[in-house]
Amino acid sequence: MTDEATDRSRRVRRNSLLLGAVALAIYVAFIASTVLGLRGP
Amino acid sequence: MSHHEHDAAAAHDDHDHKPYGWKRWVYATNHKDIGTMYLVFACIMFFVGGSMALVIRLELFQPGLQFVDPAIFNEMTTVHALLMIFGAVMPAWTGLANWLIPMQVGAPDMALPRLNNFSFWILPFAFMLLIGSLFVPGGGPAGGWTLYPPLVLQGGDSLPMAIFAIHMMGASSILGAINVIVTIMNMRAPGVGLLNMPLFVWTWLITAYLLIAVMPVLAGAVTMLLTDHFFGTSFFSAAGGGDPVMFQHIFWFFGHPEVYILILPAFGIVSEIIPTFSRKPLFGYESMVYASASIAFLSFIVWAHHMFTVGMPLAGQMFFMLSTMLIAIPTGVKVFNWCATMWRGSLTFETPMLFALAFLFLFTCGGFSGLMLAIAPADFQYHDTYFVVAHFHYVLVPGSIFTIMAAVYYWLPKWTGRMYDETLGKWHFWLSAIGVNVLFFPQHFLGLAGMPRRIPDYSVQFSDWNMVSSIGAFIFGFSQLLFVYVVVKAVRSGAKAPARPWEGAHGLEWELPTPAPYHSWTEPPSPALIARGAEH
Repeated sequence: MTDEATDRSRRVRRNSLLLGAVALAIYVAFIASTVLGLRGP
Repeated sequence: MSHHEHDAAAAHDDHDHKPYGWKRWVYATNHKDIGTMYLVFACIMFFVGGSMALVIRLELFQPGLQFVDPAIFNEMTTVHALLMIFGAVMPAWTGLANWLIPMQVGAPDMALPRLNNFSFWILPFAFMLLIGSLFVPGGGPAGGWTLYPPLVLQGGDSLPMAIFAIHMMGASSILGAINVIVTIMNMRAPGVGLLNMPLFVWTWLITAYLLIAVMPVLAGAVTMLLTDHFFGTSFFSAAGGGDPVMFQHIFWFFGHPEVYILILPAFGIVSEIIPTFSRKPLFGYESMVYASASIAFLSFIVWAHHMFTVGMPLAGQMFFMLSTMLIAIPTGVKVFNWCATMWRGSLTFETPMLFALAFLFLFTCGGFSGLMLAIAPADFQYHDTYFVVAHFHYVLVPGSIFTIMAAVYYWLPKWTGRMYDETLGKWHFWLSAIGVNVLFFPQHFLGLAGMPRRIPDYSVQFSDWNMVSSIGAFIFGFSQLLFVYVVVKAVRSGAKAPARPWEGAHGLEWELPTPAPYHSWTEPPSPALIARGAEH
């Protein structure tokens, strides 16, 4: 693989992992914010 | 075809190395194969969901209970919506993205081909689970696609199945969206700048960001429903200190951007088709990009217009009413740009253009009824009536479904190398356009007269328009069989398509040989090709 191709595949991997992490963080954040919003019985 | 193009086609054919048999599909990593699977899957779900719609309209043909009992009716309304949104429209857009985005940005494939395979193959299992939930003790999910607690928590064994199915669909969408974003951001051929990408690529890029932002929100909401039902939590149970209205806020924070997920790619398709058949460049390309981005941004701050009647401070009502109305501005920019593109154009009306024009007119009608619903005091009257049903079907059927069909007619020659039968295509268009209006326009009258949605029986004063609406449903539903016939006929025995079947078409995909080779843009397109393709 050329340097350019390696570089691109590294960028693809990094960006996909970042986007996946953002999605996971949003999932956790919404559940956590609802937990914090509970008033208790 | 020039000698050069002949050589290019021959070279591509020699290097196809296409796998054969079932392995080609199960292990597919080619964006065109995966795109085809998405489109076929969407078509199957469209017919399954459509059959459910016909059960609904059959039951509503006249007052009284004739064919199904109320429980099954409620299951039909719920599963029809879930199938059409997550099974038909979203996979159809992903299928079109798979087919078109790599060809339009000069990339050899999607950035993550194996993830692409996984994204697709999650879907059949998700929908087997969802459809299978109709047959378990206690019946299928029947609380409406919005899954509001506490009603939805009173369902039978189908609830965990439906929730798991939604999780799987969400995972598939998120993975698909990641793939689209990295393909567009990292795989564009040198020289394909962001502001000379086709509008379909742009609208899909924005859609993919929306998907990543809101699908986890839906996943979070249904996870909390699951724990409320099975693990003793009280997120949405007032008795345990939770709040059922909180679910509605979370759901619609996902649900309203979801509406734009369903419609933004349609804007992209129409922005490709109208210039082609007007033989003019798209009017206001950059304003189209900014308008799409503005719509996406605004979609995050309007969610509570779905909830005016739950009880909200006046300031909240004012905020959500006005922010909703703001969406009319970027949408208006788009509608005027499409009209300006056609102005003094050399117009012809082939089937894709007819569907695009029907979109323009009927989507605008759906937009106007949306503005009526945005007015909080008026919404108190319209809420949960057939007016709402008419509104969102005007936006989604002539909006999303018509443009998906327009896209299939438009790019089919490039995909298959065969032309469809134009006469039959026009028959399909006119039957669909007439059917859809007979089906949904009377529902405005029913709603304004006070007919509630999601009921299997109704007062006799609603009989006439319900009968008309049901007749329209059967015209529309059965005319879609013609669509399948036209596509299958074209693929099997259509006339050979030229490399550029529409002389007004621009874009890198039209620079490829016809049919598009199995592996395209293995070498990046030359600057000259990019410049020719970028004449929007």
